[in-house]
Amino acid sequence: MKKKYAMAYIVDRCVDCKACMVACKAEWEVPEDKFRTHIDTGVSPDYTDTMRMHFLPHQCNHCDDAPCVTVCPTKASYKREDGIVSVNQKICVGCKYCIVSCPYDARFFNHELGVAEKCTFCLPRIAEGLAPACVTTCPGNVRVFGDINDPNSEISALLRDAATNHYKVWKLRQDLGTRPNIYYIQK
Amino acid sequence: MIKNRISRRRFLQGTLATGAAAASLSSISLIAGEVSQPAPTGVTYAQNWCEMCFWKCGLTAKVVDGKVHKLEGQKDCPSNRGKLCAKGNAGIAQLYDPDRLQKPLIRTGERGSGQFKEVSWDEAIKYVAEKCNGLKEKYGSGTFSLFAHGSGEHAFVDLLHIMGSPNICIPSYSQCTGSRDIGWALTYGKPVGGKEPVDSENAKCIMLLGRNIAEALHMGELIDFINGCANGAYVIYVDPRYNKTAAKANKYMMIKPGTDTALVLAMINYIIVKEIYNKEFVEKYTYGLEELSAHVRRYTTKWASEVTEIPEKDIIEAAVKLCEAAPNCYIHPGRRLTRYGSDTQFVRAIAILNALMGNWETPGGIFKPVPLKFDTPHMVHDLEKVDAERADGAGTEFPIASVDLGLANKMMQAIAEQKHPLKGMFVYGCNPFHNQGSTDVVAKAIEASEFIVTCEIYMTDTAWYSDVILPESTYLERYDPIISTARKSGYIQFREPAVKPLHDTLGAWEIAARLSKAMGYQNHFMDVREYNTELLESLGLSEKVMQKHGSLVGAEGDPFPLASGIEPEFHTPSGKIELFSNMLNDLGYDPLPSYQAPPMPKADEFRLLFGRVSFHTHARTQNNEWLLALHHSEVELWINSGRAKALGIKNGDKVCVTKGNKKSNPCIAKVVDHIHRDAVFLPHGFGSVSKGLTRISGVGARDSDFTSDETDPISGGAGFHNGFVRIVKA
Ligand code: SF4
Ligand code: SF4
Ligand code: SF4
Repeated sequence: MKKKYAMAYIVDRCVDCKACMVACKAEWEVPEDKFRTHIDTGVSPDYTDTMRMHFLPHQCNHCDDAPCVTVCPTKASYKREDGIVSVNQKICVGCKYCIVSCPYDARFFNHELGVAEKCTFCLPRIAEGLAPACVTTCPGNVRVFGDINDPNSEISALLRDAATNHYKVWKLRQDLGTRPNIYYIQK
Repeated sequence: MIKNRISRRRFLQGTLATGAAAASLSSISLIAGEVSQPAPTGVTYAQNWCEMCFWKCGLTAKVVDGKVHKLEGQKDCPSNRGKLCAKGNAGIAQLYDPDRLQKPLIRTGERGSGQFKEVSWDEAIKYVAEKCNGLKEKYGSGTFSLFAHGSGEHAFVDLLHIMGSPNICIPSYSQCTGSRDIGWALTYGKPVGGKEPVDSENAKCIMLLGRNIAEALHMGELIDFINGCANGAYVIYVDPRYNKTAAKANKYMMIKPGTDTALVLAMINYIIVKEIYNKEFVEKYTYGLEELSAHVRRYTTKWASEVTEIPEKDIIEAAVKLCEAAPNCYIHPGRRLTRYGSDTQFVRAIAILNALMGNWETPGGIFKPVPLKFDTPHMVHDLEKVDAERADGAGTEFPIASVDLGLANKMMQAIAEQKHPLKGMFVYGCNPFHNQGSTDVVAKAIEASEFIVTCEIYMTDTAWYSDVILPESTYLERYDPIISTARKSGYIQFREPAVKPLHDTLGAWEIAARLSKAMGYQNHFMDVREYNTELLESLGLSEKVMQKHGSLVGAEGDPFPLASGIEPEFHTPSGKIELFSNMLNDLGYDPLPSYQAPPMPKADEFRLLFGRVSFHTHARTQNNEWLLALHHSEVELWINSGRAKALGIKNGDKVCVTKGNKKSNPCIAKVVDHIHRDAVFLPHGFGSVSKGLTRISGVGARDSDFTSDETDPISGGAGFHNGFVRIVKA
């Protein structure tokens, strides 16, 4: 069966340490003050006895129906067979349509190279059998990456476990029909 | 080799000389542009341990075409199990930072003018040697002091011994863990130690009093903690500020700052009165329960609730939760326990509360570190340690303070006051302008010193005021003596350079050896690689093995011997865990901890709290381009929303900290409900005055301008949190 790469975040385990952001920056020499992944903080508005704070990572969702791919005039942005949404930097003309079309704010303009840029699920790393840089470095083991078409992969096991135990599982803005491939899990 | 180094340096100089635009190019493009050299090609790997903080995570550097491309945690290193934090990952940006010190410097203008001339190593070494020999002749060998922290600290410690001075200070004692280790040792007969042996992964209940594990961020401690949370530990977090550790807690308790001891004493009292402590353990292994219970009787939960502003039911609930989980629970002994000038007794209270749980050498409680024992060679031959009286009072005025680590706070005061002729100051890897409680005292000490030598990688605030600056190679450019660490197993770690030094820099050991020789001392310094080879051979290992693995576990053992039925030993006067401390009693201190209210801020003042954020260490990493990008170079001052409103301060406003005639650079107000009204909080390490830190010079507040400089009467350690400030709009 074809591979289909996806990622899950076990959000309870995230401490907003931002190691993932910097590991990714190093691996991809992401320029200036840009990052390919971020952590959002959610705080219940008022301090009460039950105040909670949550940390939610995000990055490109490698959507199955990706607006960034649809709008790209040169086909530089494309969906690969293994599910990864990629940018061919050689033919990207830097028109930035994809950047504005992405509902997840996952892309930015790389001024040094003059192209649109985003998370690649660490394509060459995974080809070498390594996990993506953010996954490898995460002290919380928040991030689980793998092939969801392989029932023996860690991510498949995690998603099964989440279903069995009725953990809360969601994806971002499913109402948009983009069919993202990043799962959020809360135990 | 040297030739290669110099031409690299020339290249960088040439590029930077083309002006501001070139200087703002990323370091990556500078290095990539290095075409005149036949650059090494291909991919290689080098083993190291991270030096971005002091946890020493094992890492492997991936070097592509001669440039360090990526740092990865060593999977099998027990310090970090394959992980690196944001700081660790940003070690590359430090290595290639054009702001690094690149050549030895000798001051030419006024101190603090930033005027230095570049000199050769030979010239710098000769200059320092002559000056030091002159000072020694004039004032005696005790005229030298040292403030040192980091992997190369022992090189300078040994140098000071050779020079004949006892005035050696490792600031981590008085400025961080001294009171904690003394308080713990008085109770259990041994200090807590640098890699706190708390077993978070197996704990059923964890109580943290301001130990912000998620943001103080030491990798092994954090991994264990997250796993502990995921395994279902009930976490109680006590802090005046709801932070990222609070976010992981089941119960957060906002405490009035300064009142932690009251909380702990009331819990002790409640647990004794209700007889819910671990009776079997307490009877068998502790000393002084009767005295303790009589002493704490006055500390009722009702009283503590009034003092701490924590609801009484929450205090009781915390006590009950711990006892229900006992012995698989712990109350964290803390780390930087330099708060209110009474920290040793606070730790005593924590140690006693732990003892009531009976969690000693037990899963989920306090584990017994497993050391890897072996004979280490001596880096310096024929070294006689100086055993003279110290100028800081360690061992005399403070009889149980560590004479090996010294009292950096009291030493700085002694230099400022000049009761002894302390004229020659050495600084290695630390930054007194930021790590001391009073910058006025540091400024005075600097003024009183005739000669100041700083060995550093950056132009810190202290380097900026020094007479000679000796640039050190970063950890990714040097060998260092192998280190050994004890956690649940005992292991060794190996460091080798990933790249040759980019600039005209040397490792600390070579610098110390050259200085010693130039001063005319005969002691032989071993070469670091020679030392490592000898050490490895004694373990039946080789450099090659270490190049492959980076770190190696050499001792497996039982970290929970008591739980396995092995009787523990306590090296206290009574041979038991001392709830009542015989040693304190004999020395005339309070043998049982009492609550002493610290001074409180006036109605229009705030207590200044400071600490780490997850992506900076001390005052060492603030200039790092990648780490600065994480917070857009903004320095946030946390302030309570009610107090802010009264001052007309809105979230995002620019505000300054003031005290007397001092006023900080602007910070960004972070107006939140979840910090106590009495306090403001600053991330530590900003507000540098040195213009050599081009990205952060003048950015944010330097907390040390506003902190207190209390002295703990028992440990001699510092107390920083009695500094009271006002906040004004910028
Ligand atoms: S590295 Fe892991 S724990 Fe840290 S911020 Fe990223 S996802 Fe969260
Ligand atoms: S998250 Fe944005 S950039 Fe990524 S595939 Fe979806 S639309 Fe494209
Ligand atoms: S905790 Fe982070 S900064 Fe400290 S040694 Fe480990 S990786 Fe380096």
